[in-house]
Amino acid sequence: MQRLLRLGKRVNVRGWLVVVLVALLAEVAIQLFELHDSVSPPSETLPALGEGISSGELLGALRTTLEAYLGGLALAIVVGVLFGVLIGSSRLLLDASFVVLEFLRPIPAVALIPLAFLFFGTGTEMRRYIVAYAAVWPILVNTLYGVRGSDRILHEVALASGVSRLGRLVRVTLPAALPSIATGIRVSASIGLLVAVTAEFFFGSAGIGAYMHRQQLAFQLPEMYAAVLLTALLGYTVNVALRLTERRVIHWSGEERFRWP
Amino acid sequence: MFAGAFVVWEIWAGAEESFLAPQASEVLARAWEMWPTRAFLTEVAGSLKQLAAGFVIGAAIGIAIGLVMGTSLAARRALDPLIELARATPPIAIVPALLLTLGFGDSMRIAVIAFGVCFPVLINTVEGVRSVSPEARDTASMLHVGRAERVFRIYLPAALPSIVAGLRVALSIGLVLVVISEFAGEGGGLGHYILDQQGQFAYPEMYAGILFLGLLGYGLNLLFRFAERRVLAWHYGAAGERAR
Repeated sequence: MQRLLRLGKRVNVRGWLVVVLVALLAEVAIQLFELHDSVSPPSETLPALGEGISSGELLGALRTTLEAYLGGLALAIVVGVLFGVLIGSSRLLLDASFVVLEFLRPIPAVALIPLAFLFFGTGTEMRRYIVAYAAVWPILVNTLYGVRGSDRILHEVALASGVSRLGRLVRVTLPAALPSIATGIRVSASIGLLVAVTAEFFFGSAGIGAYMHRQQLAFQLPEMYAAVLLTALLGYTVNVALRLTERRVIHWSGEERFRWP
Repeated sequence: MFAGAFVVWEIWAGAEESFLAPQASEVLARAWEMWPTRAFLTEVAGSLKQLAAGFVIGAAIGIAIGLVMGTSLAARRALDPLIELARATPPIAIVPALLLTLGFGDSMRIAVIAFGVCFPVLINTVEGVRSVSPEARDTASMLHVGRAERVFRIYLPAALPSIVAGLRVALSIGLVLVVISEFAGEGGGLGHYILDQQGQFAYPEMYAGILFLGLLGYGLNLLFRFAERRVLAWHYGAAGERAR
């Protein structure tokens, strides 16, 4: 009981009431002004969402999306942290790679979809690489900053105490860089989802994005908006999950950064 | 290093001999012929115009809502879940809805860009406003500074560095969305151009388009950094002063 009460206090009741209120307002506005041609009211979208989930069609699409998305994100984390640490720990490498990084970074990953499409086809593999490309930059850059920002004195103490190069990396550099890396991963997670769904929308045959596109072409508005809603919920879940994990794992970096809202 | 990357590409593509991977020299030659043509510059100008309009609208909305949420706890708590849900929605997910309401034209594209730009700016504005020192806040209320004046003379300047950081994130997201909206809509633009060339199997042109997109992003970033240094000179000056 007490746990329930505590949970009730932590959940932002008023905020969720506002969400419900906005949904109700949308419903009323759509019915009043007869906007059925372009927007489907929540009273039709929610049943469509339930139906899509219970029939398994939306769930299948969700799984396909998650496969490409999570695979790409994992790849990006490995590559981004690895290269970030490598480049960040050497002035020479940093100077040498700076221009290439600064040039590659602003190329929007979605512009590379036509290119990846040629090499990898339309399957999950193509989307995985595209997601990885888009997601790698925030992680790489944040790792870089984190590594470069780690405390010099700690390094020197470790060096003087005879800690090996690997030991210094694991025990000084990485813990110092971890909060920054976590921020990078959080940014990457939302960019990755955007790119995954976009790639499906324009070039894919499966996944939430493709489902959305199909329903749009068929003019099945409730089904289409159900997919939009599902995507929003997916993004929200990923965000909350990452924030909770971050709070667990990086318990040492002050409470300050977790005080939102 | 940059030149080195091109040399590696050239040799690799030469060895590969695939029509999918034209050699760097060919792409560069094509890019060089391409850029002064009128048709191409129109595409670029089209992309830039969309980006500018969407960016300004999105940033204005983000800053306005951010100021409200930053200064009032009640507003922050009431709007948080709504904003979090909207923020988690990939902009591509609202493209179909916008296509149906606004059509294939410019307003749809600008709306997509504004939607994506709005959230990083909003979040950073809230963070920035909340970082205003309690002393400044208390002094202002003690001196009976009006609400509007407080916002413009205290909160906004204090939040500016944070807002600018948000704007920079928003700029790269905006560039992504320019391409997405051009894939979806009608009319020109660099993203449209890349897709077109791929459809016509004109691969060197497609690579050249991607190259230009990278250059555009790089240029915009430089421009932004220059403007940032100008606008925030007082901030860096003060921060440097403190460091000393």
